[in-house]
Amino acid sequence: MAALSTLLLLPLGIAAALALARFRGPGKGALETLLSLPLVLPPTAVGLLLLELLARRGPLGGWLHARGIEVVFTWKAVVVATAVMSFPLLVRSARTAFEEVDPRLVGIARTLGCGAWAAFFRVTLPLAWRGVLAGTILAFSRALGEFGATVMIAGNIPGRTRTLALAIFHDNQIGRDDRAMVLAGVTIVLAFTALWLTEWITRRRARTVEP
Amino acid sequence: MIEARIELPLARFPLRVDLELGRGVTALMGPSGAGKTSLLEAMAGLRRGARGRIVLEGERWLDSDAGLRLAPNRRRVGYVPQDAGLFPHLSVRGNVRFGLRDEAAAESAIETLEIRDLLDRYPASLSGGERQRVALARALATRPRLLLLDEPLASLDVALRQRVLPYLVRIRDRWQVPCLYVTHNVGEALAVAERLVLLQDGTVQADGRPSDLLAVPGVSREAEAGLENLLAGRIAAHDAEAGVTRIDLADGPAMSVPYSPDRKVGEGVTLSVRAEDVLVAVQNPSGLSARNVMAARITAVERTGTDVTLHCKLEEWDRSPTWFARVTPAAVSALGLAAGTRVWLAVKSHSVRMV
Repeated sequence: MAALSTLLLLPLGIAAALALARFRGPGKGALETLLSLPLVLPPTAVGLLLLELLARRGPLGGWLHARGIEVVFTWKAVVVATAVMSFPLLVRSARTAFEEVDPRLVGIARTLGCGAWAAFFRVTLPLAWRGVLAGTILAFSRALGEFGATVMIAGNIPGRTRTLALAIFHDNQIGRDDRAMVLAGVTIVLAFTALWLTEWITRRRARTVEP
Repeated sequence: MIEARIELPLARFPLRVDLELGRGVTALMGPSGAGKTSLLEAMAGLRRGARGRIVLEGERWLDSDAGLRLAPNRRRVGYVPQDAGLFPHLSVRGNVRFGLRDEAAAESAIETLEIRDLLDRYPASLSGGERQRVALARALATRPRLLLLDEPLASLDVALRQRVLPYLVRIRDRWQVPCLYVTHNVGEALAVAERLVLLQDGTVQADGRPSDLLAVPGVSREAEAGLENLLAGRIAAHDAEAGVTRIDLADGPAMSVPYSPDRKVGEGVTLSVRAEDVLVAVQNPSGLSARNVMAARITAVERTGTDVTLHCKLEEWDRSPTWFARVTPAAVSALGLAAGTRVWLAVKSHSVRMV
């Protein structure tokens, strides 16, 4: 689930990060704040908003229901919830990386025959990939640990919408602390690896930027 | 043949230029901020705000009246910016082949600029002169129909310039394409250009053969006047009583500029000091009205037209940028100025401009 949500997120996040890095103008601050909101809001609040939006009676949910797609309380809801919650992490990290790319290099690539897309894939992305990757890993680990928004919109249905984070809570509630501890151990290993990888990538980036 | 009629709003004035360029090199000179780089970028198609008409051999690149603007990647210009602008993630080979049109062009560029031994290296490991040669080769490998060179030698020291200059002459002779060549150096203009265009405040002030124009009193000075020291700093404090605003330079001492309370303390600014406004003393001056005095050492003495440009590094700042000071040949001999001489640079507050 976390992997799927991260995968779905990647193109969107990169587009948003690029727009924020290059776009100058009114509304930029507001847009930035809006995109970062899920970082600071209580996850349950985000979950509630998503629930209202995607419920069968909700504005988006109704439209989807009419086309035979149910989101709420299915695995799709887990993906949506984790995606929304981890989006800002990816965008922030990728945006910093894109801002570090000298726009004049992109201009030079254009004069050398690259269209806008080619210039992005041949210059911007190769120069920013570490930041994008670091952001992706962070987003992935956030998605793994997401609890509040998931439980609101996807519920806690064994075998369907029960994520790692939800399972820990559930096992503890029913008195199976031993199982909860094992799961917690798994999350620690995953989180540690992800953070350490991010650190490592960022450090290497710092080293390669200075000749 | 290329015709360019360009209008482009800039920060202080609009750029308004009407030029016709034939084969050969046209030197573009004028003070910093006159619009030279903007003109090159507009020709390359990198300035969306540019209006007017650019036609190269019957092909329209820009025609605002018809709502036409050819994308930069379809214009086939060879653009070399001041700092070479190499792609740091690609080897020299990767850079040169980036816009490859045909193998023969790349081979010929590699040979002309003698960079075959550098092909497997990365830009970070190249010297300034090597970077410029790679950037030139990268531009030539696309078989450009117009070359736009933005001070290709400016970031090099005097000795390196002399080594790279012959390559430019070679490019001029082998690649018969129109070339706009921005420079601050009269010697360079005389060496490579058949024509000189003097740009000032966005408009063409003089246009003609370099040797004729540079003989006109004043033109030579104007053409070279552009040499400026650009310094990054941060507003440290305002002192209304002393009538100054103090600025901490990123790689230099605190400087005083005329009181400018409209800038916020902590705000980053760029200061500009013209090379001819830097006074040079061989002893630590005392009782001087100039508010900014810095110990420095001369790293190079360069004869530029009728004047001499001193290249100096501030003594107490490891990362000091090169400071340019323009003096007369008479001053050089009277003070015994040479590379290695310890000097004091003095700048009046009123000679420092915030840009």
